[in-house]
Amino acid sequence: MLRVKAGDLDRMGLLFERYNRQLYGFLFHMTYDKEASEDMAQHVFYKMLKYRYTFTGDGEFVAWMYQIARNTIKDMAKKNKNKLYQYDVEDIADKIGGGTLADEYLEKKQAKAELHRAMAKLSDDHREILTMSRFQEMKYQEIGAILNISEGAVKVRVHRAMQELKDIYKRVEQ
Amino acid sequence: MKDCGQFQDKFTDLVNNQLSDADKQSVEMHLAGCADCRQELADMWKLWDMMGEIETPEPSAHLKVKFNAMLETYKESQQNAGLLARVREQFGRLWQLQPRWPLSYSVVVMLLCLAVGYWFIRPARISDQDKQLAALTTQVHELKQTMALALMENPSASERIRGVSYTSEMKHADKEVIDALLATLNNDPNVNVRLSTLDALTHLASHPEVREGLIRSIVTQESPLMQSAIADVMLKLQEKASVKSFKELLKQKNLDSGVRDKIQQTITQLI
Repeated sequence: MLRVKAGDLDRMGLLFERYNRQLYGFLFHMTYDKEASEDMAQHVFYKMLKYRYTFTGDGEFVAWMYQIARNTIKDMAKKNKNKLYQYDVEDIADKIGGGTLADEYLEKKQAKAELHRAMAKLSDDHREILTMSRFQEMKYQEIGAILNISEGAVKVRVHRAMQELKDIYKRVEQ
Repeated sequence: MKDCGQFQDKFTDLVNNQLSDADKQSVEMHLAGCADCRQELADMWKLWDMMGEIETPEPSAHLKVKFNAMLETYKESQQNAGLLARVREQFGRLWQLQPRWPLSYSVVVMLLCLAVGYWFIRPARISDQDKQLAALTTQVHELKQTMALALMENPSASERIRGVSYTSEMKHADKEVIDALLATLNNDPNVNVRLSTLDALTHLASHPEVREGLIRSIVTQESPLMQSAIADVMLKLQEKASVKSFKELLKQKNLDSGVRDKIQQTITQLI
């Protein structure tokens, strides 16, 4: 990224290759909207180009990218009147679903759909941190760098998020 | 078991693979003797694994196409916008260094310098302009005077009237003009020219020599029109010194009777 900052804009292509999936995945889990996630991913890369001189090189590039992504999500939420996703929670499971409809999978699929529903009901903070730690398999230290909080605070938040998810999941299951 | 909570707090970190080896060992030791906690952890693993099965969709090929297009456009705009964009960007980079205070300080200093410079330069420039204007005004004045004097010599009566009327536009007339006017007043063959000269001289009545000339001219005027006109002017100027000249005029035998009445009236009003 420092080379992009120095004016070698082609290097941005390399960064795109390396990180677009991760970024897209994060945006998707935060919004459950494929189209919007693509638009936002594009926007994040554009912002990184435009504001490349704000990258100091002190921290990790990934942390910087996530910070921009989070701001982009916040901007979108503001536009949509504080709703991260425009669909009903109940619809989300159907949207994400897919896969086979074979009988032996049906039960498992249902459980999965319920978990989806539970995830969608999580508070934004908790869904964010679980997305990072579970889906993106990030270390606590990396998450801390992005959220600008200590490793200990990340630990506590992940723990609370798991508890919340467990509670919601149980309620959804019943 | 009473320590269960303490261990269960660590389950999240355990499934997350973020637990140190020492902690892991202690948790495992506890699990070996606690069925509740084993169940709790199993639930946790189940949930964790199920989360793992949630697919994260891949971005479509569209994203890459759009990104490349965006990058190209951006690069082009960078090149095209050229200087302006670069300057703006440099400025933005400058901003990044947070030089707000130094910058505002230098802006203030700059404004101060401008103000000081302005105050130094302004009086000089203005006095210069004033000088030029004054010189120009003098030139125009002189030109007018010359023209007026030249016109007064003109054989045509109407041209002479025009010359006389030029002088009435002047606020200050020199002696040369006053003399010319008085000469016209006393010697011009045309009554109309003399009348308008009298008019012009009335405007210049603040000059003492004009008043003196007018009083002296009272006796020399022969036209009844001029005599009564002068009487009007004297009354208007409240010139008491003219009474003597009027009395002399009354001694003339061939004086018009109407003029005689008017002059007597004027004398009584002046006294």
